[in-house]
Amino acid sequence: MNDALDREAMMELVALYALGLLPREEAALVAAFLAGDDEARAEYLALRAGADAIALSADEPVDSARSARMKERLLARVRAGDASDRAVARRRIGPNAGWLWAAGLATAASLLLATITSVQTLTMQGQLAQAGRRNATLSAQVAQADKAAQADDREDRQMISDLFSPGSRRYEVAEGAVIVRGNRVYFALSKLPALPKGKVYQAWTLPKGGKTVQPSLTFTPNRDGVAVVPLPVDATKVGAVALSVEPDGGSKLPTTTPTFVRPLS
Amino acid sequence: MDPGFRLMERIRARDVGAFEALYDAYHRLVFGIGLRMLGDPGMAEDLTQTVFLKIWTAPEAFRGGSFVAWVSRVTRNRALDVLRSRAVRPEADFPADLPLDGALDEDVMAGLDAQRVRDALAMLPAEQRGLIELGFFGGMTHQELARRTETPLGTVKTRIRTGLRTLREALGEGVSR
Repeated sequence: MNDALDREAMMELVALYALGLLPREEAALVAAFLAGDDEARAEYLALRAGADAIALSADEPVDSARSARMKERLLARVRAGDASDRAVARRRIGPNAGWLWAAGLATAASLLLATITSVQTLTMQGQLAQAGRRNATLSAQVAQADKAAQADDREDRQMISDLFSPGSRRYEVAEGAVIVRGNRVYFALSKLPALPKGKVYQAWTLPKGGKTVQPSLTFTPNRDGVAVVPLPVDATKVGAVALSVEPDGGSKLPTTTPTFVRPLS
Repeated sequence: MDPGFRLMERIRARDVGAFEALYDAYHRLVFGIGLRMLGDPGMAEDLTQTVFLKIWTAPEAFRGGSFVAWVSRVTRNRALDVLRSRAVRPEADFPADLPLDGALDEDVMAGLDAQRVRDALAMLPAEQRGLIELGFFGGMTHQELARRTETPLGTVKTRIRTGLRTLREALGEGVSR
């Protein structure tokens, strides 16, 4: 692998990453690359600034009728939601039945008021009903997409956040870095040698005060030698991590000289 | 510091007045991004509702920095969700959570306005501007851009990188770290 060429290729991906154009897998690779390359990180931050600014070009006047209609819909929902929230809070706090009845009445009145406001809005804006239905459909679609992507997104964003946070501790190794934040630990490696056929990389952890390494997960980097791997272990209990090449399926103890051993201190 | 930052502090305290002020200040931007990405005023309107309701119900999601940059990313990612649900399936996501701290995007966005950004974009060669705008507002990956524009993938990458660098320079010192 030609390091200079590979680095240049990664630098081109940095711009795409800054602009938000990379599929998730490639984005994770770039995140790993950035975590281990100061110059690339500086370029990313500068380009991200330009990318952020692009959104501003879409800021254009909205016609006043649409603007007012959107605002009215929004505030009606906010107020109705708040009235409902307050009622729930009251139910949780007060055991007094009479008080509850009064609170219920107040809530009903608030909701009725909100409804009346909505009805007035409907009367004033003939398109609102149609917009509301469309909004419900859209919300359902978004919720569905959200649900499917939520778990993955949470993990990805947590990982990417951890990789970049100045609050993370970075332990350099020749192939990249071991990154620790809170109780999470990651291998962010970008220079892993290609694996022989039938072999995988295996992570190892050494518990604090322990003398025997524990087997962790196995993984295969991409063809450019890049891998970002969250280790399934509580980082606060780990004294050191290591990596070695093992037979496919992993080993119970290392069978080759470790690629690296890195104390986390 | 853009006014959104302070308004968000009040919104966390459930100040409807602050929320209204936030809407007044930023709905054009949110609606504009939605319109550019979804291509339909009705859907852009619905997207605007979704984004602002999310802000009201989960204001803690904004963790500092430039509110303009943050709300733009949130809006873009929401619009991408909509495009996905239409089965257009753009795969790219804006790295919305990065960086979590530092004053970079605050520095950048302060002093910039829509016209200045549009002028800077207009200065780019058409082939660079076209790819950047199609990618950003069209929610396409670089591979999709290459296919759509029948441009070699390497050329797409180079043009976007060059264009983004030129844009940064054109926007001046505000964009320099």
